[in-house]
Amino acid sequence: MTDLFKSRLQRHLREMAKYLRLVFNDFFVFALMFLLGGLGYGYSNVLKQLKLGLWWAPVVVVLVLLVTLQVGRFATLIEDADRVFLLPKERAMHAYLVAARRYSQGLAQTTQVIVVFLLAPFLRVALGWSVPQIVGLLIAQVILKDTLLRLDLASAYQVTGQRRMNDWPIKWALGLITLAIGVWLTPYAAIVLALLVDAVVAIWMQRHWQQQQIRWREQIKIEDNRMLGIYRFFNLFTEVPMVEGTIKRRRYLDWLFKSIKPTHEQTYAYLFSRGMVRGTDFSGLVVRLTVIGMLLLYFVRGEWLPIFLAALFIYLIGFQLLPFFQQYDDVVFTHIYPIAPELRLKSFERLVTLILGVAALLMWVVIIIANLSLVTAGIALVVELVEVWYLARIYTPQRLARAMKNKA
Amino acid sequence: MALEVSHVVGGYSQIPVLKDISFDVRDGELVGLIGLNGAGKSTTINHVIGLLTPHKGTITLNGVTIDQDSQAYKQQIAYIPETPVLYQELTLREHLEMTMMAYDLDQKQAWETAHDLLKVFRLDNKLDWFPANFSKGMKQKVMIVCAFLTQAKLYIIDEPFLGLDPLAVNDLLNLIEQRKKTGASILMSTHVLDTAQRYCDRFVLLHDGQVKTEGTLSELQAALPEAGESLNDIYLSMTKVDRA
Repeated sequence: MTDLFKSRLQRHLREMAKYLRLVFNDFFVFALMFLLGGLGYGYSNVLKQLKLGLWWAPVVVVLVLLVTLQVGRFATLIEDADRVFLLPKERAMHAYLVAARRYSQGLAQTTQVIVVFLLAPFLRVALGWSVPQIVGLLIAQVILKDTLLRLDLASAYQVTGQRRMNDWPIKWALGLITLAIGVWLTPYAAIVLALLVDAVVAIWMQRHWQQQQIRWREQIKIEDNRMLGIYRFFNLFTEVPMVEGTIKRRRYLDWLFKSIKPTHEQTYAYLFSRGMVRGTDFSGLVVRLTVIGMLLLYFVRGEWLPIFLAALFIYLIGFQLLPFFQQYDDVVFTHIYPIAPELRLKSFERLVTLILGVAALLMWVVIIIANLSLVTAGIALVVELVEVWYLARIYTPQRLARAMKNKA
Repeated sequence: MALEVSHVVGGYSQIPVLKDISFDVRDGELVGLIGLNGAGKSTTINHVIGLLTPHKGTITLNGVTIDQDSQAYKQQIAYIPETPVLYQELTLREHLEMTMMAYDLDQKQAWETAHDLLKVFRLDNKLDWFPANFSKGMKQKVMIVCAFLTQAKLYIIDEPFLGLDPLAVNDLLNLIEQRKKTGASILMSTHVLDTAQRYCDRFVLLHDGQVKTEGTLSELQAALPEAGESLNDIYLSMTKVDRA
């Protein structure tokens, strides 16, 4: 059973590695470095202004550690088919789950260590703690996380009837009490308390797990949700087949479609517009990029930099929209409807023009507000107009024509 | 002669699934395409609706091939797939409207037809539903309504009887009967042989990518006198030749 987990883990890690490569592309790493640099600089500035004896400092510490404690879930890698195929092996599953918990510790505890490490300067400056005290808090935090993961493991069994041992009130209360003692009283007391709880749970588990059934359905659901969360995150950067975009009715946006008259020429405009507005994949992407772009443009000022940034974001949006053209290729009717392919391309071009136009306009307004410079605003407008026109009317049809040719 | 498939060799890749297939569907005729799993029924249908291009041979629909005028060719076809596929972001109402737009139908008239069809298939109170809320059978009914909205000359129906409730099967058969009277042709693939035997005018028996026999039930009986009376018997004897 440990071998089963090992082979699954290998497959899982291979998959994660594949996606992580895509996530940490050059552009993202670049942006991330900027962001981290900025945050680090801000943090060090805040530290300089801090004095001892602020009433809110311990509260912040407890809150940060409490939230961090919930990071790093119990990764079981259990699959839907397991409740059929592994059911006869239920007793042997314990070894599997223990191996899973061991693996889950890695990422979870690394997170705890990093966060306490980041908090260390704050603890020193705002609370005046010594190094041994900080290390003590770190140890308490790690033991607490160990306990929480143990509770997760215990909850995989139907030990306590309908009640689960890892209900969120239990998890949060346990963390809150221990950390509060650690911060306000002394971290060494927190260590003792955390150790005590951990030991009790461990002994109790040792006695009980063998007589119990696994909550297959629930564990599968939990694991599915966990994976979905990960895939959702990857989906921000790249296409993930496991995430099917959800669809929302968004009735309040129906007025957007009013201008599309139900004529033969507009068939694809009809489909594309509704697909864009109601699907969350592409519309989410456009909204996210536009908002990030606007925020960045508000803070980044200058003569040329805003123009360059706006142009970059318009390009990113336009580029990411391209696959939407093929969104409906797997619906057979897209191929069967007696509609000339040119009409489909025309409709798509219009959609791209409209979306990029609105995004460009919004960013342009932010540029004006942020810079209050007639020259920058004027140049930005010209650059954006040319870019939108080029992307929508020249680049998009060319790229799509090439993609269609490659397919045929 | 509505549909004429002549000497078609084709398939998904370079390896042909269909080996020189010929048959036709005349005006006002319901032709059953019969064959085992993997015999080439769906491949044939995919060629007819233009998803696949034949390696050799031609498919003509009322004198037009898809290469000559793909618009005119596609305009004449309505297709009901075996597994229903819908646009996830469109409501039932919007599916109907989009079909009308795609086939350039007169909206007012088409909506009258649509409302009649919706009532028959008990979908008239679900116009604002998304496909995600429909059961498989309901989705299939949506496909039927969309297809019969179009007044096409040729209806292509892939295995319609599985997944539909008995009432809907009956309604579909009535609808087919009604459209046949107006001169439309239907090419239908199915495994439900006793229903096929009762309703189809002619049969094309496919086996291993070839047309084994073709004709009315009495023609088939005459061609294979020792096989038996029913379509089922004939079909089984045809497949046995290969197994022996």
